[in-house]
Amino acid sequence: MRIGDAWNALSDPRMVPRLFAAMVVLVLLMGMVTTYTYQGDKLYPKVLNPESPLDPYDRGGAPLREPGDVKAQYPENAPKLGWITSYLTPLTTWLAEKTRHLGTTIVSHPGGVIDEILYYTRGLDTVLETSILMMAFVVASWLITKED
Amino acid sequence: MIGLGESLIGLIRLGDIVLYLTPTTLTLFLTAVGFTVVMALSRPETQVELVFGMDGYKKSEMPMGEIKFRRYMAIVCGVATAGAMITGDIFDFALFVTLAGIADVGIVAASKKPQVLDAAYQYGMTLMIAGLPLFGAAALVLGTAGTLSLHELDTIRVSGVVAVLFILGVLGEIGVAPFYAAKARLFRALGAPYIIMIHVSTLLIIVRTVEIIVTLL
Repeated sequence: MRIGDAWNALSDPRMVPRLFAAMVVLVLLMGMVTTYTYQGDKLYPKVLNPESPLDPYDRGGAPLREPGDVKAQYPENAPKLGWITSYLTPLTTWLAEKTRHLGTTIVSHPGGVIDEILYYTRGLDTVLETSILMMAFVVASWLITKED
Repeated sequence: MIGLGESLIGLIRLGDIVLYLTPTTLTLFLTAVGFTVVMALSRPETQVELVFGMDGYKKSEMPMGEIKFRRYMAIVCGVATAGAMITGDIFDFALFVTLAGIADVGIVAASKKPQVLDAAYQYGMTLMIAGLPLFGAAALVLGTAGTLSLHELDTIRVSGVVAVLFILGVLGEIGVAPFYAAKARLFRALGAPYIIMIHVSTLLIIVRTVEIIVTLL
């Protein structure tokens, strides 16, 4: 095959995602045979305490009284670190006290380590993620609503 | 905290994400911001085409709605590029690049021509595929180095495959530019001033990607 044929094949936009996907697969296969070191000590600390009503999600602390146990890359930039992790809404507190397992629904309430990361230690990422989503909807709605 | 081999002018501390200003990043940031301002204020020129075989010409103008949409996308792309220039966090950089990429596709997709829309669809597919290597590389950096901050990664080495994956992801996100340049007459085509934004953002992001790769390896 001459080089001109290759360029002509590339000029078709339909070839671009196919070629790119093939390249990604190639590198991913390369990545599978590579060995990686794993830094387990940088994980968010957690102690499993079966007695706690928040059992698998309990990260210490008491709502509005003492902060939970969380790590941050730069703790000096996050003076209120841990307070969001330990927070429970009154409803979640009530659920955690009255029932055995419903307190773990903390994942769907304000508070917890996910909110700590999303809205405090890595807040800019959340702004950008929602901006990307908004741009996707703006482009989609423009394509759908424009006349003809 | 290390200034990545340069004298540090300033830090913007946003929790774990620390934006930093050095002579290089500040210059790139100001270039992106300045170009975005020029883009927001400029007006597209009217294209005049001669009609073949007779003594006549026709004007092809962009409708106002299309101009506004393209300008909006160009501004978003410029802001995302400016952010990517000064960010000190590899995951944050990936998000800025994704935002610039989707705004690039928006600039292309504003057209009403079917063949341009077909091409924009294919670029959108490339963008979606590129999410895997880009964020996969960021995840592997976090797993192997234990941090996402470029200030810390300066002293930590990660595997070369991760760097290749990262380059591939960035290429996919901003890969619209070279293909679109081949398709359209860059400076005189309809929607011209806004299309240039795709190229400016691509060039600046590639410069920044090289700096990040040097930091990773």
